Amino acid sequence: MAATTTAGGLGAALQAAEVLESIVSGCVGPEGRQVLYTKPTGDVLFSRDGGHLLEALNVEHPLARVIVTCVSMNRNVTGDGSKTFILLLCDLLRGLKAITDKERGSFGGSIQSQQRHWKSCCQWKYISQAILTFQAHILDYIVAQYLSKHFLSIFSFSGEEKKFCRRSLELLLDAYFCGRVGRNNQKFISQLTCDYFYKCLSHEDGKDEMIDLVDEYFLELCTAVTGLPVSSSRIVSGFVIHRDFSVYCPADGDMRIIIVTEPIEPALSTSGSELVVKSEAQFQASQIWITERTATIMNDLQSKGIKLLLSRVKQHDAVIYYAKLNGISVVECIPSEEISLLCRIVALSPFMPSWATSQCHISDTALVQFCQPILLNSKRYVHLGFLSTHSFIPHCLVLCGPVQGLTDQHIHAFHGAFKVLRQVLKVLYLSYKAQGNNQNETSNSVTHRDNKQSYHLTEVYRALFERQCLGSVLKSEGDPSGMQPHFRATPGLVLSSIESENSTPSTTHTHKIKGDFESLICTYPNKIGIINAEEPLVAIRCGCNGDSLIEIPDGYVSVVEQTCKMSNTTTGMTSKEVFQNTSKSYCTSFIQAGSVLPVGGHFEILLHYYLLDYSRQCQQPEIRMISSLIANALLSVPKTLYTAKRGNKSFCNVYLRTVHALQAKQWMAASQTGLESVACKYQLLTSVLHCLTKLLTVDLVIRINKQPQKTGDDETE
Amino acid sequence: MSRVKAKKPSLCTCELLTKEIISKSLSILRAVVTSCYGPSGRLKQLHNGVGGSVCTTSSSSLLFSNLSVTHPILKILTTSVQNHVSRFSDCGLFTAILCFNLVEHFQRLNLSTATVIKISKHLLSLCTDYLNSESCGCRISVDFSNMKTLLCLVQSILTSKPACLLNKKETDHISTLILKAFLLTIPEKAKDHAVLGKSIIVPLKDERVMNSAVLPGIVIEMPEVQLIRKFPIKKLPSDALKVALFCMSMSGDISEPGEGTLVISYGVSLESAVLDQLLNLGNRLITDHVDIVVCQKVIHPALKQYFHQHHIITIDRVGISLMEPLCEMTGAQTIGSLSFISPTSYGYVKDLCSTNFGSKHYFHLIPNDSTVCSLLLCNRNETAWNELKLACQTALHVLQLTIRKPLALLGGGCTETHLASFIRHKGINVPECILKVNDCTQTEYKIVTNAFCNALQSIACSLEHDKGKILTDRKYGHFWSIPPDFPSNVKWQDLVSECGCGLYGNQEELNWCLLQDIHSFAPQNSSIQQATNSTGHLTLDCFTAKLHGLQVAVETASLILDLSYIIEDKN
Repeated sequence: MAATTTAGGLGAALQAAEVLESIVSGCVGPEGRQVLYTKPTGDVLFSRDGGHLLEALNVEHPLARVIVTCVSMNRNVTGDGSKTFILLLCDLLRGLKAITDKERGSFGGSIQSQQRHWKSCCQWKYISQAILTFQAHILDYIVAQYLSKHFLSIFSFSGEEKKFCRRSLELLLDAYFCGRVGRNNQKFISQLTCDYFYKCLSHEDGKDEMIDLVDEYFLELCTAVTGLPVSSSRIVSGFVIHRDFSVYCPADGDMRIIIVTEPIEPALSTSGSELVVKSEAQFQASQIWITERTATIMNDLQSKGIKLLLSRVKQHDAVIYYAKLNGISVVECIPSEEISLLCRIVALSPFMPSWATSQCHISDTALVQFCQPILLNSKRYVHLGFLSTHSFIPHCLVLCGPVQGLTDQHIHAFHGAFKVLRQVLKVLYLSYKAQGNNQNETSNSVTHRDNKQSYHLTEVYRALFERQCLGSVLKSEGDPSGMQPHFRATPGLVLSSIESENSTPSTTHTHKIKGDFESLICTYPNKIGIINAEEPLVAIRCGCNGDSLIEIPDGYVSVVEQTCKMSNTTTGMTSKEVFQNTSKSYCTSFIQAGSVLPVGGHFEILLHYYLLDYSRQCQQPEIRMISSLIANALLSVPKTLYTAKRGNKSFCNVYLRTVHALQAKQWMAASQTGLESVACKYQLLTSVLHCLTKLLTVDLVIRINKQPQKTGDDETE
Repeated sequence: MSRVKAKKPSLCTCELLTKEIISKSLSILRAVVTSCYGPSGRLKQLHNGVGGSVCTTSSSSLLFSNLSVTHPILKILTTSVQNHVSRFSDCGLFTAILCFNLVEHFQRLNLSTATVIKISKHLLSLCTDYLNSESCGCRISVDFSNMKTLLCLVQSILTSKPACLLNKKETDHISTLILKAFLLTIPEKAKDHAVLGKSIIVPLKDERVMNSAVLPGIVIEMPEVQLIRKFPIKKLPSDALKVALFCMSMSGDISEPGEGTLVISYGVSLESAVLDQLLNLGNRLITDHVDIVVCQKVIHPALKQYFHQHHIITIDRVGISLMEPLCEMTGAQTIGSLSFISPTSYGYVKDLCSTNFGSKHYFHLIPNDSTVCSLLLCNRNETAWNELKLACQTALHVLQLTIRKPLALLGGGCTETHLASFIRHKGINVPECILKVNDCTQTEYKIVTNAFCNALQSIACSLEHDKGKILTDRKYGHFWSIPPDFPSNVKWQDLVSECGCGLYGNQEELNWCLLQDIHSFAPQNSSIQQATNSTGHLTLDCFTAKLHGLQVAVETASLILDLSYIIEDKN
């Protein structure tokens, strides 16, 4: 039962993330391939949904599990972007590692490795806090100030009127399905979903309600048919109940329907009551009464013009018999989800048969246009047509495929598409602290920064000393095994005790570590200096413009990477006006509903460009560091997307073209191959940053051999 | 207390198709399936190591449902074929072999899967467009006024199932019966949309095949108890017999008491109360002059006896599957109440007689005018009977599909070779726009087309199991086979007699060559309908099933090729 510990922090997190990346990278983008996933039950499923695949892996590694949980949470909101999540996270971690490795080189080998670990953990925690602040204040600012001017809209504006543009929707869905379904069917499924959206939409204003409804009831609205080619998939108007008629009496014209959720035939005794049978005659009489009651109710229903009875439960033989005699069609055992969807569509509440009075009161009925059998998947289902007054015009999607695994994939992709649509149509609010005092800082010297830095440092140390007082019992820091019983006994205390272990040596080494920290800060200018030395490379970038870009071979990717790092080489062009027009208070802004950008990593390249630009203006080293770190990590997405492309479409070319256009302030959303939602992308980036901080704050992973308290913690989240 | 166990991590495999174990198991299954194909296909004996009956078969549905494939890729392929078979009954082996061939041929190409998949999708659309077009040279239209083509279709299905163990005469007999049974299900008075009736297959195992028969109406096996009593034949003034159909139990069981409690005083017997009710019901039926009482479930012996005394014939334990045809045949409504019976619920049959088939006795309900019939199917033993039953069901389904779309494809490998030569010919010069849409070069297109056609041709080749050589002609692109050990000085023309489907004979100068050496040429297809009328016997395949089989095979092959890795959840 010995608890084993593994080092947490950057290295371990990177290792975990890289393994996940290697799995996910195979299915990123339009060139991605399918993954086969077998369930423990033996079912075989296809998937290209990153989140689904990561969950399917059942990873054991604790940090990897943290990542998977973060991915799932993001996916539940945005419906997309799981693969990009991993790519971004991985590159951020790599970037951080590169920075810390460089610093470690400057430390020299004087400190013991154990202590170095603690110290770097402490530093990571600091960095992670800085990242959070950066995200909250600066990222929002950049998105609102710079990026927003490039946004396209999914709406087309004609005068005052805002209209939903079908072409844009098609592009959006095309791009989404490119990453989610197999290569053969992307176009087809995308077109089908677009048609479905328009067929269900009764008027423009109702689209939010409609999307919510489809999102909630997508399983009921889709019918999978196996054994047919995918191209046989179609949209059926009306609603398909996934049950067969118990009684089918064909009828023409509009029909009145009723929904019941319990048996119509009265039972001999209800719960909590007692029926005393005194004689055979009494028993027979009660049986006859039951049948008579059933007959009366069914006759009543018929006299009210009801032609269809939808029941959630199985009805007795007598009910079926009398329904048949009265010409009422009956569908039994309808799943409760379908019942609740039906109730919502037709605004109907279930009928409660009352056996006491001779006349039963039928409160709620509704009209349907038709009700007929429909043959799907070699089964007979019930097909209802509605006279809808709702914002949702009911339509069902029949998805065909040779195997169940494929139709399931399409259903889930369809569901995700509606989640994405909901995100697109939502306004996303941003709030950020205005950047007014930046200019002052610019004029200040390095000493100011140092002061600030050391202030942070003292804060950290104060906290550590306080912790140490609490955990002074655990003085045996030299012998880690002696502390293990405590770890095992109280997992909640683990964090504090570890930190106290950390702080104990630091009492003796305080000045040293502090010195190191300062030297760390001092390395920043050095680094910039190093990059400055590579100035000739800039010439390449400046030299090539327009068509001449095509000649650049792929080997220059490294050049691009280097130019990215040159945070202060190019002359800023927008900085002045930005700093002037911001006030000192918190501002709120928003990403407008329907904001989109073309696919192909354009969001990432744009944000990368502006972040770099910002980091050039910024004088605070840690912000500059984080800004360029995120900027560089963002490029991993377009890099992956363009890996297989050559020549004009290679990453290098696309990147340089975009940056050049941006510098000339001529960037236009050009290639209309697909669109993606800015809100989704932005939310993705923020959740990646949150996940990163979560990972960085863990310094030690402790394995406990205790049975979990409840079934699977990872499932409840 | 339940133990919570941590989930085991899943297994992730990549580099799938190049892995030896996968390609090996793919080729083994391929060999199994390929050897079953066609009239001269080899039979497979499936038996469980633990015990149970032995099944001899060559049909894809039995083969795949009994084989337990473990690898997910094979599972995809087999489920895909099974789904196809459950929908179209026919062409399962065709689909499976084509899919195997496509995977194998495409995987050997050194091209990116994206290109292969795109081009194969385009080629598939070429095939389906061609098969659906009027100018198609490998399909014939089915004339329902002439039974010949329909009979050919049924015979082709029966001969392609060698495990039925039928000789020529028996095949003819059974195919005539199948066709007869099918024709009986077509309603005479067709409204705007006619609903086909039902033909019920009645098993008669261990009998001579020639004893098989088709009877109008429904045949229900008689329990031996009833045999002892004299079968009451009652002459009626009217011609018809009145039938009551019960879907509820008449065994005298007490209906559920509900959620509350039932307190029964001493001496009160609920059973006798219910039996009283049953006998009341019996009286009601007697006064209504019902002649036959049919119950889906069990009838109480006392009630049975009571009916017997009043010369009412009882048939119980009919089962749910017969209830629908019974309703349809008699026009009765199933009764679900013991207390009240509406007079409109009764139905009528023309006559009821008892017949013997083999050692068993049957009630035969003869309808007035109905689309329900019974096909009494005999075969020598259990496994051969099962195979024959499957073949009959397939044939009936194929006939139904054909009535919906009255077309048939040439069988015997001719459709495949013809289609391959058509695609090859189309691939000689491809328009630039198609290359652009598929994002490929002319060479890539040619390579994929070649692989696709080879896959198609190798299905035709799998019809030949006796090492014979396979030829094709350069005029129609049909399939010809010649015996394996012919002397080298003999010309091919003297060896071939007729092509695979039987459409063309040896009389024309057809310029034969070996199938694997074929180069592209423009297949002719002008005079197909005249040729159909002149020849006696044709081998035909179901149009709808084969077309869908082709689509499903290409789609499934693309799915398999598109896989990058597998995650197996081992919990």
